[in-house]
Amino acid sequence: MSVGDILIEIIFLIGALIVSLIIVIKSADVFVDNIVEIGSAMGISQIILGVTASAIGTSLPEFGSAMIASLSGSAELGVGTVIGSNIWNIAGILGISATVAGVIATDSKGLKRDALAVLGTGFILIFFMLFGDIDWKASIVMIALYLVYLWMLIKAQKDYAKETNEDSDDKDKKTKISKLESINKKQAALALLGLGGLIVGCRILVYSGTELAAIAGIPEMIMGLFTLAIGTSIPELVVTLSSAMKGLHELSIGTVLGSNTFNILIGIGVPALFMAIPVEPLSLSFDAPVMIFVTLLLIGLIKAGGNKLNRVGGLILLATYITYAVLRLYVLA
Amino acid sequence: MYGKILVATMGEYMDEIIDHTVDLLHGRDAEIIAIYVVETSVPFLTPKKVKEMMIDELTARGKEILADMEKALTDPDKPHITFRSIMLEGNPADEIVKTAEKEKVDVIVMGTGKSIVDKHLLGSVSEKVVHHAPCTIHLVRTA
Repeated sequence: MSVGDILIEIIFLIGALIVSLIIVIKSADVFVDNIVEIGSAMGISQIILGVTASAIGTSLPEFGSAMIASLSGSAELGVGTVIGSNIWNIAGILGISATVAGVIATDSKGLKRDALAVLGTGFILIFFMLFGDIDWKASIVMIALYLVYLWMLIKAQKDYAKETNEDSDDKDKKTKISKLESINKKQAALALLGLGGLIVGCRILVYSGTELAAIAGIPEMIMGLFTLAIGTSIPELVVTLSSAMKGLHELSIGTVLGSNTFNILIGIGVPALFMAIPVEPLSLSFDAPVMIFVTLLLIGLIKAGGNKLNRVGGLILLATYITYAVLRLYVLA
Repeated sequence: MYGKILVATMGEYMDEIIDHTVDLLHGRDAEIIAIYVVETSVPFLTPKKVKEMMIDELTARGKEILADMEKALTDPDKPHITFRSIMLEGNPADEIVKTAEKEKVDVIVMGTGKSIVDKHLLGSVSEKVVHHAPCTIHLVRTA
C-alpha cells in the first residue's frame, strides 16, 4: 500500500470512529428512553425506572464497546475502555466541569455512598486481576454487587420521595392505569432500533479502533484507554458539565460516580460471563491503581473544599489526568 | 418613578436583590413582578431522560425561589407592594427582555452575578439583558 492509500484509510477510519460514536450515543439514548416508556406501561415503579435509567443511561456506550470488543476477540480494548473511562470521568470530566463552573457542591450522604461504591469496585477489580484472567466466577460476584448497589440507589430514592411527601405508591398506581393501554408497537420498535444501533455502532467503533491501532502501531489497550474511553464518555461529559453550569450539583457528581461503578461491575463483569478477560500486567500495576488514586484524590479534594469541589480542585484533577496520559503514552508505553 | 418593576433572580444573592428593590421604591406604591427562567438548553448528545430530569429539578428550584420572594415582598410591613410571579422556560436573558417588553415595566432589577473569571467561562445573563433591555436596569453589585 502506498502512503496515500494509508492516509485515505486512516481518514476513513477516523470518520467511521466519529460517526459510530454518534450512532452509539444516540442509540443508547433512544433505547433507554423507550425501555423506560415500555417499563412504565408495564407498571414498573417510576422510581425504579428513573434510577436505573439514569444509572445506565450514560454508560451504555462504554458497556456496549467493552462487550463487543471482548466478543470480537479484542478484550484488551474493552478493559482499556472501561478503566480509561473511569480515570477520564473523574480526572478529566469532573476536572473540566469544576474548572468551568467554579464549584460543584455535593450532598455528603449521597457522595459517601457513591464514592465508597466507586472505591470499593476499584479494589474488587484489582483483587480479581491479581488472580490473572477475570472469569465467570468473578463476573457473578461483580454483577451481584451491582444489583445490590442498584437496590441501594432505589431504596435511597424511595426514602427521598417519602421525605418530600411524594406519594410514590399512589403515583405508581396512576401510572399503571393510565399507561397500561399505551404500550405500543412504536416504542417496542424504537427500543429494538436503539439496541440494534447500539450493537452495530459499537461493532464499527471497535473495528475502527482496532484497525487504527494496527495501522498506527499502537497497542489496543492504549486505544481503549484514551480514544474509546474519552469518546464513549461524551454523554458523561455533556451531562456533568451542563448540570454543573446550571447549578445541579448532585446530578453532576452523581453521573460520574454512578457511571464509574457501572463501568467496572457491568462493563467488565458482563463480558467476563462469556469469556475470560485477560489482564495486562501494566493495567494491574499502573492503570487500575491510577483509577483508585484519582478516586481518592477526588474525595480528598471535596473534603478539603468543605464538601465542594472547587476550581483549584478541578485544575488539580486535570493536571493529574495530563500527567497520567503523558506517563502512560510516552514513559511506560 | 418606578411603578412596575421586574425582578430577575436565579436564587443567588436573593436577599440583596430584594433589599435593593424595596429601597428603590421609598415606600411608594408599585407592582413587583418576579421572574425565574428555567434554562432548557442542553448540549448535543445529552440523553433525553437526563434533560427531562434537569428541567424538573430547575422548575422545582424556581418554584421555591419565587415562593421565597413572595414571602419576603408581601409581608404586612410592605402594604404598598403588589406582587406577581412568572416562571418561564427558555434562554434566561431573552425571556427577561421579552417579559420586560410585554409587561412594559419601568425598571429591571437583577444582580451583576459572577466574578470576571466566571463571566468569561459561563457567560453572563445580566450582560446580555443590559444590551437588549427596553427600559432602565438596576444592577445590584453581587460579586
